[in-house]
Amino acid sequence: MRRRDFMALMGGTAAMGVLPARFGQAQTRAESLRILSEAGPNSLDIIGVGVNRNSIQATWNVYDRLVRFTSKPGPGGTLYYDYFALEGELAERWQVSDDKRSITFHLRRNAVFHDGSPVTAEDVKWSLDRVVSLPVGKPQFATGSMTDPAQFEIIDAHTIKVTTPKPDRLTLPNLALTYPVIYNSKVAKQNATAQDPWAAEWLKSNVAGGGPFKLDSFQPGQSLQLSRNDAWTNGPLPGYRRILWQFVPAAQSRRSSLERGDADIVQDVPPVDAVSLSKDDKLKVVGVPMAGAFQFIGMNNAIKPFDNVKVRQAIAYTLPYKQMFEAALFGRGRPLFGGKPGAPETTEFPQPLGYDTDLDKAKALLAEAGLAGGFETTFTFELSMATIAEPLSLLVQEALGKIGVKVTIVKAPAGQLGTMLQKKEVPFFFEASAAYLADPDYFFRIFYHGPTRWNFGSYSNAEFAGLVDKTRYEPDQAVYEKDVRRMIHLAKDEVPIILLWQPTLDTGMQKSVDGYKYQFHRQLELRTLKRV
Amino acid sequence: MNVLLRRLLGVVPTLAGVVVATFVLTRILPGDPAVFFTSSPSADAATIEAVRQKLGLDQPLWRQFVIYVGALLRGDLGQSITTGQPVLTDLLQRLPASAELTIVAFALAVAVAIPLGVAAALRPGSLVDHLCRLIATAGVSLPTFVTGLLLIYLFYYLAGVAPEPMGRLDPFATAPPRLTGFLLIDALAARNGEVFVSAARQLILPAATMAIFALAPLARMTRAAMIASLGSDFVRTARANGLKWRTIVVTYALRNALLPIITTLGMVFSYMLGANVLVERVFAWPGIGSYALDALIGLDYAPVQGFMLAMAAIFVAINLIVDIAYSIADPRTGLFGHA
Repeated sequence: MRRRDFMALMGGTAAMGVLPARFGQAQTRAESLRILSEAGPNSLDIIGVGVNRNSIQATWNVYDRLVRFTSKPGPGGTLYYDYFALEGELAERWQVSDDKRSITFHLRRNAVFHDGSPVTAEDVKWSLDRVVSLPVGKPQFATGSMTDPAQFEIIDAHTIKVTTPKPDRLTLPNLALTYPVIYNSKVAKQNATAQDPWAAEWLKSNVAGGGPFKLDSFQPGQSLQLSRNDAWTNGPLPGYRRILWQFVPAAQSRRSSLERGDADIVQDVPPVDAVSLSKDDKLKVVGVPMAGAFQFIGMNNAIKPFDNVKVRQAIAYTLPYKQMFEAALFGRGRPLFGGKPGAPETTEFPQPLGYDTDLDKAKALLAEAGLAGGFETTFTFELSMATIAEPLSLLVQEALGKIGVKVTIVKAPAGQLGTMLQKKEVPFFFEASAAYLADPDYFFRIFYHGPTRWNFGSYSNAEFAGLVDKTRYEPDQAVYEKDVRRMIHLAKDEVPIILLWQPTLDTGMQKSVDGYKYQFHRQLELRTLKRV
Repeated sequence: MNVLLRRLLGVVPTLAGVVVATFVLTRILPGDPAVFFTSSPSADAATIEAVRQKLGLDQPLWRQFVIYVGALLRGDLGQSITTGQPVLTDLLQRLPASAELTIVAFALAVAVAIPLGVAAALRPGSLVDHLCRLIATAGVSLPTFVTGLLLIYLFYYLAGVAPEPMGRLDPFATAPPRLTGFLLIDALAARNGEVFVSAARQLILPAATMAIFALAPLARMTRAAMIASLGSDFVRTARANGLKWRTIVVTYALRNALLPIITTLGMVFSYMLGANVLVERVFAWPGIGSYALDALIGLDYAPVQGFMLAMAAIFVAINLIVDIAYSIADPRTGLFGHA
């Protein structure tokens, strides 16, 4: 029935079936936003097995969190999330204790859920308990030293304290990520069962929150509709009253709808379309290099000949970066090649590793490694990334041929490279990944350390591993930065993996859409969007 | 009728075989779903194990099979991870979408292909024959997504006469109460003319795209069968006896040419129903083809098995219909005894 109410509000429905039902003719055009994306959410519960990234876009906008990242000006004048500056969302303010081990959050007194009931410390505790109690949520919260429900302590109805065993700089940013959404625990508990104490089944297709938008309807695989929660007081009221989000697999169909003016925002714009659409005067394409995301050439440091640092450097000096960047991404991204070798200038990571195409140097390094005659290897990529990886792998093959390395290209069926990497059986490959938290030590801990498949290079260096452990709880900022610089220096010198670039997140929109904010999760933030 | 009953009973071992085959096939796919679904970089080996347990993939294969068959007997096809819905719900929602599209496209193709094929056979080498050859060649050599995009470009992007190529209904139209899942039928049942028109408008381009593809084999097969039939002795005799042209062509030649045409019809229909993934993608049609493909890419076993099972059942049903159609066209081959 919700959908019908929506229709009644829309007005003028009678003409729609007969006339070419252009969205532009709807009366509430100015207050409605029509979004097209490649796929839709597969769950409205963000903490679950196999939950996809589109689910973030749904949950992000119907739920609130305790804290959120503020905005700073980003490239091209868009808003960009500021990882190092948080503000309260459901929390009015917070205090960090003197020993830096606990954070006390004071909730907004007037905050209410969609059903009108007040947001209390009990709801917050239930929601945070839920994260550490579900197998998928726990490892993420563990990166912020939160593993046990006992760490979340209710002080009074509007105050809650989070305590960690050691001071941890990742605790607070963790509370602003996608998992710790605050549920209306009374509603959720009513729908919990003995086998399912956290109402995971029910929350998959229902919303019990208090965010800036309410869910009107959700048809899996087709569309999702939201309407603004006018009682929302945890930030400036969003600009759009209604959101119609449809899932359209074909990029060409999304594009033509945007060009015809039927869609307001089109997500997942392929690089080649971003280049041509940005030449259209009626539209704009917001392209933001994705923070934390990176595409790279991986080498398994544990097997020959990639265990030899000279071989890895030789390959890093051979790759035709500029052609690869143009052929694969049409230049839509931030290069991580080039730059100066040696000691880093900033503590930011990923940053350029200091390698450019230099075949003489590459040949010399290969000779030093005792492989002047070259060697044979395979280069694997996954077919789901074929549009980028196909031209790229041909360039890699051709370039390495010049230094005597014979490369056979292996195309792994979609969804299977992960398993192969888990077994550590791929010698040389193309892959992409991303980290949510911007701290460099967090990045290294995931991607350059440990036995998981995320240590893409199977990198193992005693000094580096020591620094990864040491920086985890380093309280002294100066010492921390010195250690991080050393880790970056090692990552540049030893190239366990060859970082290529950070791709651009391209979103096409009508000129009238304003207030786009790039969020760390790369999905749409509806709170700031408005029509001008 | 006994024969029909026996044919129906014969379906049981076929479907049982399909159940085993789909189970084994999905299990030998390389790729570990537990690893795939543990996609958070903060996950460690313990998390992967926990996910494996949750998916039931830690059980030995034979136990997984017993559980699967047990659930099947209760009518439970399992849970899809890629859509987050029970597979049965998904299939019931999406099968009518695919079926509606396929039936309309099929009717369109038959309506054009058979007259075209007959006309071509009546005047081999004429303009009509060349036209038939041209359409057939073009239809078969253009991949459906190219035809689809071309139609979208012409009729939506340039001319603006077609609706947005997105889904089964205008985004702001209210779906009629669900009876059959076929929007055209449901809209008629609800006496809602607007929704009917909206659904029909959305249907035209994808149906035309599929029809163009299906035209080729039908038209060519009709032409070939008709030429053979027109050149046969009984037609010559009929002509010599001065029967009416219409009687010769329709009653004698076409009826005798029907057997290969019916075979082709059956094959083309089943193929269209299961293999229209590309059309579904281009038109954002919520059908089963793109559903199964998404599941396969996502290492999501249950929907893939459910899809294969449903398709097998449909193939069996279509084969049965084709057999019955044979015996109507040519009583000698029939399931039913001579009357």
